[in-house]
Amino acid sequence: MVDYMTQESEWEPKLLGFLCKWCSYAGADLAGTSRKKYPANIRVIRVPCSGRVDPLFILKALRLGFDGVLVSGCHPGDCHYQTGNYYARRRMAITKKFLEYMGIEPQRIQASWVSASEGEKFTEVVTEVTKALKETGPNRLFTDERRRNATKTTE
Amino acid sequence: MKDGGMQQKLRSEAKALLEQGKVDYIIGFEAGSLKFTTTPLITSDKDDIDRLVINPFIVNNLSVYLSELKGRAGIVVKGCDSRSIVSLLQDNKVARENVVILGVPCSGIIDLGKVEKLVGKDRDEIDDIIQDRDRVVITVDENRREFPIREVLFDNCLGCELPTPQEYDILLGELTSAASDEDKIASQKKINSLKNIPPEQRWEFWRSEFDRCIRCYACRNICPACFCDRCFVEETEPPWVLPVPRWQDNLVFQVIRNMHVAGRCTDCGECERACPVNIPLRSLTREMYDMVDELFHYKAGMDKEASSFLAAYEATDVEDFIR
Repeated sequence: MVDYMTQESEWEPKLLGFLCKWCSYAGADLAGTSRKKYPANIRVIRVPCSGRVDPLFILKALRLGFDGVLVSGCHPGDCHYQTGNYYARRRMAITKKFLEYMGIEPQRIQASWVSASEGEKFTEVVTEVTKALKETGPNRLFTDERRRNATKTTE
Repeated sequence: MKDGGMQQKLRSEAKALLEQGKVDYIIGFEAGSLKFTTTPLITSDKDDIDRLVINPFIVNNLSVYLSELKGRAGIVVKGCDSRSIVSLLQDNKVARENVVILGVPCSGIIDLGKVEKLVGKDRDEIDDIIQDRDRVVITVDENRREFPIREVLFDNCLGCELPTPQEYDILLGELTSAASDEDKIASQKKINSLKNIPPEQRWEFWRSEFDRCIRCYACRNICPACFCDRCFVEETEPPWVLPVPRWQDNLVFQVIRNMHVAGRCTDCGECERACPVNIPLRSLTREMYDMVDELFHYKAGMDKEASSFLAAYEATDVEDFIR
């Protein structure tokens, strides 16, 4: 859980990444073995396919206090299961747009295609997303009024 | 809508269907216990057929009963309800040969709340409400007043794209035409005003709306597109949302419900009407409906041969948001 009382200056965004085991997770692995540097803000959950990611996971992550969620899978046409990422793409499109309509900042919901050979791209994605989240600020969407006010006065 | 003619035709067709054994029961409407209202009637008894009614108050989407009932049913549907049936056919929740669809060409359903507001009287004090094409005549104490029909129709009826059923076996009246663009815009007023405020205020709006939610699940239970055997809110490992009605969990529930009915929701408006604390749920479902249409050119319940929206994809689907 995120500590809501953390001071703004020390604050680092927490990003939850759902990485497909065949492409993006391997891509992240490659970034590591190639000794590429990327922000340590991402916490990774390995999923069998980007198609496994339920919009519920994304909302639950935001509900728990993560500042952003990244769903990353194989490029179109590269899915290990042929079509999983196509379903994910449709689902992500409406999830992102609908949550935006509700009033959630669009930067909090991110998606990318990263293949197993794209260690470099993985570092770029995580760097860009972390930067975007820093600009967006901490996720206080689900904090209660009382708590939100308390946080405000300590800032 | 020549309701009298349609009602007569419905009764004779329904009686014939039961007598010939083509259906096991009829799902329709009968007069409700409160003035002007109607209530669902499900019967296999021929003697009940004369209780069936068709009038501008047949508000419910009866297709919600189809996935639960066994056997063959004759069902009375309006345009939006018929699309819910098409959607259930797409998802294999209902077999086409098990339903005989009695289609009502609909010219809009009257919102009694709007009528009460318009004439400043309680529904019990109103003597009569008669729809006459694009006018409505309301009689209070022998005082007849005429209004344009659009002033008393439900918001979702104002923006109706398909008043005549998409799928039917027996059509009970003449074809009706879709809403004008002007009326469509009127039906979106609430959504557009929400879109025009900054995101933080929008979130604040929904936060305060879901603060009222008592999680009675009426919206889910009345929805023909909400047909999961086990709803995710009842799962305990992991518990996705807590059963206590806190606004955070209420909001998560409603957002995910909208995700699940994306491409299935036909904007029938039942969820909003069922809500006991008047949360403007249609401002969510309608926006999802339009979003799916705009991004994927997909409208729910139009083609029974097509795959269900979330169980399909196109190679050319939008991906400008993906890095």
